[in-house]
Amino acid sequence: MFLALREMRHAKARYCLIMVIMLLVSFLVLFVTGLARGLSYANISALENMPAGYFLIQDDAGHAFRRSQLGAEDFAAAKEAVGAGNAAALGVQNGTITVDGAEVKTDITFFAVDMQGLLAPKLAEGTGISNEESGRAVVDAKLEESGVKLGSTIRDQTSGMSWTVSGFVNDSSYSHVPVVYINNADWQTMKQGALTGNNGTPADVPFNVIALKSSSVQAADLAAQLDQVESITKKQAIASVPGYAAEQGSLQMMIAFLFVISAVVLAVFFYVITIQKTSQFGVLKAMGTRTSYLAWSVLCQVLVLSVISLALSLLLTYGMNMGLPDAMPFQLEGSTMAFTGGLFIAVSLLGALISVVRVTKIDALTAIGRAGA
Amino acid sequence: MSAMLEMKQVTKTYGDGDATLTVLKNLELSVRGGEFVAVLGPSGSGKSTFLSAAGALLTPTSGEICIDGESLQGKSPQELTGLRLRRIGFMFQSAQLLPYLKVEEQLLYVAKQAKLGGREASGRAAMLLQRLGLWERRGHYPEQLSGGEKQRVAIARAWMNKPAILLADEPTASLDLDRGREVVRMIAEEVHSEGKAAVMVTHDERMLEWCDRVLHLENGVLVGR
Repeated sequence: MFLALREMRHAKARYCLIMVIMLLVSFLVLFVTGLARGLSYANISALENMPAGYFLIQDDAGHAFRRSQLGAEDFAAAKEAVGAGNAAALGVQNGTITVDGAEVKTDITFFAVDMQGLLAPKLAEGTGISNEESGRAVVDAKLEESGVKLGSTIRDQTSGMSWTVSGFVNDSSYSHVPVVYINNADWQTMKQGALTGNNGTPADVPFNVIALKSSSVQAADLAAQLDQVESITKKQAIASVPGYAAEQGSLQMMIAFLFVISAVVLAVFFYVITIQKTSQFGVLKAMGTRTSYLAWSVLCQVLVLSVISLALSLLLTYGMNMGLPDAMPFQLEGSTMAFTGGLFIAVSLLGALISVVRVTKIDALTAIGRAGA
Repeated sequence: MSAMLEMKQVTKTYGDGDATLTVLKNLELSVRGGEFVAVLGPSGSGKSTFLSAAGALLTPTSGEICIDGESLQGKSPQELTGLRLRRIGFMFQSAQLLPYLKVEEQLLYVAKQAKLGGREASGRAAMLLQRLGLWERRGHYPEQLSGGEKQRVAIARAWMNKPAILLADEPTASLDLDRGREVVRMIAEEVHSEGKAAVMVTHDERMLEWCDRVLHLENGVLVGR
């Protein structure tokens, strides 16, 4: 520390410049990470916020909810295995709605759920709906921007059915579109219209997946017991939402590159400085300074630089977050921040290792018989 | 007084087979406490090799070297590093101070390396700086000092950890005659006041008036004249 800090004190400009570069890179890392998280949340918050850890899904559906079709027998078996309160059927349907009194059409996703069950929407405003009463819906608050208010009537373009909006929920999107929650009675009506000729009883109308609040073992056992059914985790389900992987993939690639860039920039800077100081290190070793002390000195400088620039960029990110418009999805939880920051410091230290190796190879003998500064 | 530096039958050869080059050949030297020895020789006579061997930076091909009665033979690199730190003071050509440490910190750094207590270290640093006329300059960086002052800081730094012996590698090479003579005089004064030994390697015969003994390095051995 003695040498590390005094050297930085003496060459302020040099170390400040490298700190500014690291500050910018780490800020970009945090900002893109926040953006990726925000986009992800804006995409699939309805899934993310579900209290279920596992989903039962048809095994040939490729983890995509809308391709899967499960029946009442599967649901009954699931309820028996994990308890009625820990399993819930979910119907998913794309739709386009018109809002009475507004001129625009809006894409939405219908979620048909048991209004008393595991997946019942958590109201932010208004009143809930019962399982029996038809013609009422709870919708995502983002629909307010499309002119939906409490008491508005929304009409599904395909089925021609209409619902009165009785409540709003926050943060409920699926595949970037707002979710409209309807009860199973309306789901059956909607689907029976589509399944004309089937003339089955309401119980025969299939739904898409079963959400489970259970252990992984329970979910796997249950899937094995049922025909053509597999269990997937919430993470797998989210990754299979159309467009999710592509969107996150490109952002993740940017973040990965930023990490590599920060490591390389720092590594090159310290390597050049170390080469410049070769004779100094030789003299220090001749005078009896241990190599480990010199190696620590280099690592210390990297640590100080990366921690300070990280702290500043956290402040900058925080300030930026305050000033961002609501429409820009940005989300950075403490855990993500800690992980990103930790990784940034680790990567910086990794980049400093080539300088450390260089320092250990300098021979004290070079100090004798040499002129120069 | 016992010998501070003892070199017995020290031989150093480079290369192997037909191409061997013997730089030191059964070299003998004994330096007592309070003695200031100058080693003269033209370039290429092996002065650097001699000093590196005496300074535990280079292991001789054969022979034994003792610093303050402690043999260097069979010591690990770490042990030699510790021995250089505590028992040997080095002076290099053109001072080789650390550009980012103030004069006083140059001294405190080596004390810190030797785990010398803070108060003891700053007391000794103050004493050395005053003796060498550098007290007023203690808060300056090396770039603010003249060549002679830098070399005086190097003298103070070399004596900081109370080594048994000071080894100086052409300490006057980058100085003019007057400054060089002053530096040599100060080394001599420190040798006598500390009661320790010093060996100075030089090619400049004008710097010898303060030395107790002058030896010439010729054909790998030291000879007096």
